[in-house]
Amino acid sequence: MKRMFVLLLLLIIFSASASSEQQAYSPQESLEQALLAQDGKVIYIDFWASWCGPCVKSFPWMNKIQQQYKDLGFTVISINLDADETNARKFLQDNPASFAVIYDNKGTIAKHFSIQGMPTSMLIGRDGDIKYRHSGFFNGKTKQYEDEIRKLLHTTTTNLSNKTNRGNHESE
Amino acid sequence: MKVNKTVFKTLSLTNSSKLNASKVKLALLTAITLSLSACSSLGVEPWERDLLAKKEMALTSNPIDAALDDHIYFSKEASSGGKSFGGGGCGCN
Amino acid sequence: MTNLNKTSKQANKTPNIKAALSLATGALLGTSILTAGAAQAEEVDEWQFDSAFLLYSEVDRVTATEAIIAGTKVFENDEILSLKLTVDALTGASANGAVAQPKAQTFTRPSGNGQYVTPAGETPLDDTFHDTRVQLNGQWTQPLSENITGSVGGHFSKEYDYLSLGVNGNLAYDFNKKNSTISMGLSYFQDTFTPEGGIPKPHSSMLVGDSSAPEWDTEFAKTRIGDSDDKSTADILVGFTQVINRRMITAFNYSYSMVDGYLTDPFKVVSVLNNDGLAQDYIYESRPDSRVKQSTFMQAKYNFDDSLLNTVADVSYRYMWDDWGINSHTIDTRFTVPVGATSYIEPHIRFYQQGAADFYQPYIIEEQAPIGFVSADYRIGEMTAVTVGAKYGVVLNDGNELSFRLEYYRQTPTNAGFAELSALKGQDIYPVVEALIAQVSYSF
Repeated sequence: MKRMFVLLLLLIIFSASASSEQQAYSPQESLEQALLAQDGKVIYIDFWASWCGPCVKSFPWMNKIQQQYKDLGFTVISINLDADETNARKFLQDNPASFAVIYDNKGTIAKHFSIQGMPTSMLIGRDGDIKYRHSGFFNGKTKQYEDEIRKLLHTTTTNLSNKTNRGNHESE
Repeated sequence: MKVNKTVFKTLSLTNSSKLNASKVKLALLTAITLSLSACSSLGVEPWERDLLAKKEMALTSNPIDAALDDHIYFSKEASSGGKSFGGGGCGCN
Repeated sequence: MTNLNKTSKQANKTPNIKAALSLATGALLGTSILTAGAAQAEEVDEWQFDSAFLLYSEVDRVTATEAIIAGTKVFENDEILSLKLTVDALTGASANGAVAQPKAQTFTRPSGNGQYVTPAGETPLDDTFHDTRVQLNGQWTQPLSENITGSVGGHFSKEYDYLSLGVNGNLAYDFNKKNSTISMGLSYFQDTFTPEGGIPKPHSSMLVGDSSAPEWDTEFAKTRIGDSDDKSTADILVGFTQVINRRMITAFNYSYSMVDGYLTDPFKVVSVLNNDGLAQDYIYESRPDSRVKQSTFMQAKYNFDDSLLNTVADVSYRYMWDDWGINSHTIDTRFTVPVGATSYIEPHIRFYQQGAADFYQPYIIEEQAPIGFVSADYRIGEMTAVTVGAKYGVVLNDGNELSFRLEYYRQTPTNAGFAELSALKGQDIYPVVEALIAQVSYSF
């Protein structure tokens, strides 16, 4: 009888601690909160997984742009799609990210945005609209990606006329 | 000194091997048609390719071994080749 | 926030990170060069190398050694360059096509310089074969659009009496979110053969006597019709790949191959026997000057879960048929079983069965109707073969991979319905050929 009680107690504690380990918010809620917190900024959303070669290759560049442009009102929010979170965490131990990581192991956010390939990146302007979408990552295209970021950074929410800044870069 | 090519014509297929060959062709065509029509319902989302991305799950997971084996069997048997490439894997980019 | 931690080259390359890109490249005869491994969060892709050393050794017959070194580099826009160097050497004895006899037999070497004697009761083997071959392959693969990949490559190989040049091209189209892929490849090879002793006249008798006799050279030259000849091979390969689910992928291929030119083996003869089965003469074989081969191939790979040790099973079947009357079936299976986090063991079994070519005959009987094409080469005769082996691989501390493979190959030629003659009773007309295959590979 006493043994049963101990087992039951252990079971309750276990399930309670298990549920507290679950994220308090669903992945979609976490993303909404993160986007709200970055309102008015240019946001680079990246969908990645530890088993995806090009995703892995994009990490150094994403760390670089996070550092380079954060003071201009820019941030990277990444969404990890590893089915098993531990693989992602192990990966991040060896390859730290200087940007936010939201875990979406069931792919709910990916499905919501109809992701067609890995990795997928979406550039969101200051007005909250998705301006650019890329499927795949290529080291040879980083100049193009950065040109797009700079273009969005130099467009304020009150100035929606096309004020292109090609060839007019400010030094960083 | 080059040798003049002999003018012997190739043997025509015997009846039984012709039947065999057309049976196989029909089977293959059926397999392909069924696959293509069913393929839109088969497969995974781009983010569900973790296992497929593993090296062991590539169709030719060890090209060096495959090349060495092909050389052996081409030299010792009457058949060769048949394998190809493309498809599967990470699906990235 | 956190300091940007530049990844060091010593970052551990754990197996699941080092996943292959889907861009496999290669020439059509299944000799793919390499799939590129994903870099470990490095900014620049470095060259990746694969090397291997193989020993193939038949019991009492041929021994071959082969060494390969291949390098692959991935560029900025996912272009892949693969280069491969292969060197192989062959020594030992090969069956010359003649059949065993209850008495000793004398044959002339292919060069015409000298004779060799086969003891009574043994399968005649010619041991003058020794050759070294060098081969170079190059392949360039790149995305042509979001869902189309193209590849081109070249092949060069040279040995003492053989030169082979080849080119190949391939296009692959992905659709259904890259769950399906169709691909088409073409290849063309042009070979030149300059055998020692020249090209023998088909059906002419092998001159056996004293090579040092004064009239030998003139007599020998009468059995020759040239120094060299060519062969060209054109292949087309059509493939379809389909991802079934998270654990399974399948592939279906069809290939059509046309070979034209000199397809006879200049070193092989056919025994001419009397009605009792005693050899009266040996004549040089003769094969058609063209061959059209077709094959269908299907493969499935399945990644089992924990309950079956996360094993990856690879099963394939190929059916081949050609206009020489040869049909063959090949079933090949491999099971890759992970052992711990860094090693694996991979048992392998392969079954092969082929039917004889229309013009295959183990020997000719003297009073037969005039012969057209004829060959006694057991390699186009009826046979079954089995390969059984295993491979063990381990990822080392620095991320490089080492593996060992050991296999046993056994060919069992069988009688496709030829009459047995009295003198041949007790002789081994269809000798079994056994070989051991041992390989070491290192990837870095």
